[in-house]
Amino acid sequence: MSLSNHERGSEVKSSGRFNFSGLALFAALLLLWEFSSRFTPAIQPYFPPASRVIHSLFQPSLARELFGHLLDTLGRFLGGYFLAAAMAVSLGIILGYFRFAYSLLEVVIELLRPMPSVAIIPVAILLLGIGNSMMVAVTVYACAWPILINTIDGVRNIDRTLIDTGRTFGLGRWKILRRIALPAAAPYIVTGLRISLSIALILVTTSEMVVGGSGLGFFILDEERSLHTSNMYAGIVVVALLGYALNRLFIAVETKAMAWHRGLTARGML
Amino acid sequence: MTWSRESKLNGFLVLLSVMAAWELVSRTEMLNPLFFPPMSKILRSFFSLVFSGEILAQILSSMRRAAAGYLLAALVCIPLGIIMGLFNSVYRALEVVIETARPLPPPVVVPVAMLFFGLGDGMKVFVIFFSCLWPILLNTMDGVRNIDRVLIHTARTFGLSQGRAILKVILPAASPQIMTGLRISLAITLILVVISEMVGSSDGIGYFILDSQRRLKVDQMYAGMLSLALLGYLLNQLFLLFSNTFLSWHRGMLRSDK
Repeated sequence: MSLSNHERGSEVKSSGRFNFSGLALFAALLLLWEFSSRFTPAIQPYFPPASRVIHSLFQPSLARELFGHLLDTLGRFLGGYFLAAAMAVSLGIILGYFRFAYSLLEVVIELLRPMPSVAIIPVAILLLGIGNSMMVAVTVYACAWPILINTIDGVRNIDRTLIDTGRTFGLGRWKILRRIALPAAAPYIVTGLRISLSIALILVTTSEMVVGGSGLGFFILDEERSLHTSNMYAGIVVVALLGYALNRLFIAVETKAMAWHRGLTARGML
Repeated sequence: MTWSRESKLNGFLVLLSVMAAWELVSRTEMLNPLFFPPMSKILRSFFSLVFSGEILAQILSSMRRAAAGYLLAALVCIPLGIIMGLFNSVYRALEVVIETARPLPPPVVVPVAMLFFGLGDGMKVFVIFFSCLWPILLNTMDGVRNIDRVLIHTARTFGLSQGRAILKVILPAASPQIMTGLRISLAITLILVVISEMVGSSDGIGYFILDSQRRLKVDQMYAGMLSLALLGYLLNQLFLLFSNTFLSWHRGMLRSDK
């Protein structure tokens, strides 16, 4: 049995120095976009000048509309993500701690896990209709996997000595779980939570596109279909900002919450 | 055969009882059989779809798109990642553009791709390409950056040219992490092919599943999901086989280190 898909992905650290060449290339690309669009009116319907996108982003009526969609998307994201985290971490601890419980669910897990999670959308539409609960449910399902697998992995990789020490000092089951198992598995759980962050955004926007109604995913697809392309690009800018902000927020919380852990590893010593 | 409390048999027993319970609640109409058709009916429609070749045709058109986008991403990103890992100035120049585009959830690229490529294969290939970029690019770059300096200096001492050093030293040394990127991207590829087929397509397995739901052919929908799960499992196993063969030298080295 191999559960080891502890995929860390890579985190690229920016040096924090002022990146002149990077900003220059970014500005050059923006200018290229602006002028290639301005001088070839034929492609403007698909590719409006950057300035027009920025202009439409700051139009009060559109900004209000975008803000409403942003709130819808954010609400679904938060509901799905936190529900998934609560459920998957608790289930993962049980499955990691009790081999018998894991053996019961192993086959079902191995059967469902390789299925791309977006395929659950049609089932969710069928069972829950096309409202918020369907989008949240789909997000919960998809986000739960990385968190669950990583939590199981993390609990399994706890040094036995830690638990035995706890026992020697007379800690009860519950105390061992809270004071030893959970902190020891935390780095793995955090990895799962980080992977799920981007998955949640993928599932929310996709389900908004498929069922429509509201949300940034719906807005972007809808503006594309009615050929309001500068609005579409404005929506994409907002989604990108949302993704960026969530990522930053996650890193900030992680740095704070896991500071004790960094102090324990070799990285902290150098 | 000895039965232990933690045997794998448990899992199969649970699976069988879930399937039996499904069959029962559907047949007795405790749950609406329109939404939960009996398990036997799902399996029957799965096999008939497989043997009639319909599922295979859908999977084939999905896989064609998936393979094109995935391989394109690998062909572009592995060389680019090596260059970015070796030359910090190149990385710095691209950093802002990458950090701006990366937080974009890939599904929102679908409408843009539809504008430029229409509803054809080009749109899906582009979406898959775009979403596979980041894991491969960043892992390759990370892998190259983490190469032991001694290795590169040794290559230089022995008079290897830049090109040969990349081919003979840097690429192999970074390959474990390149493989990690490729593996993450494989899962992403499957997700995005299904998404792009759900949003804008008239064939492929993603379209098939959503379309079956819309026409209330629920047994076909579940059968499609089952084949998608099998496909995902198969692709993952194939990838593991490939990376185990490809990286067997690396694992051998790890073992001798211990």
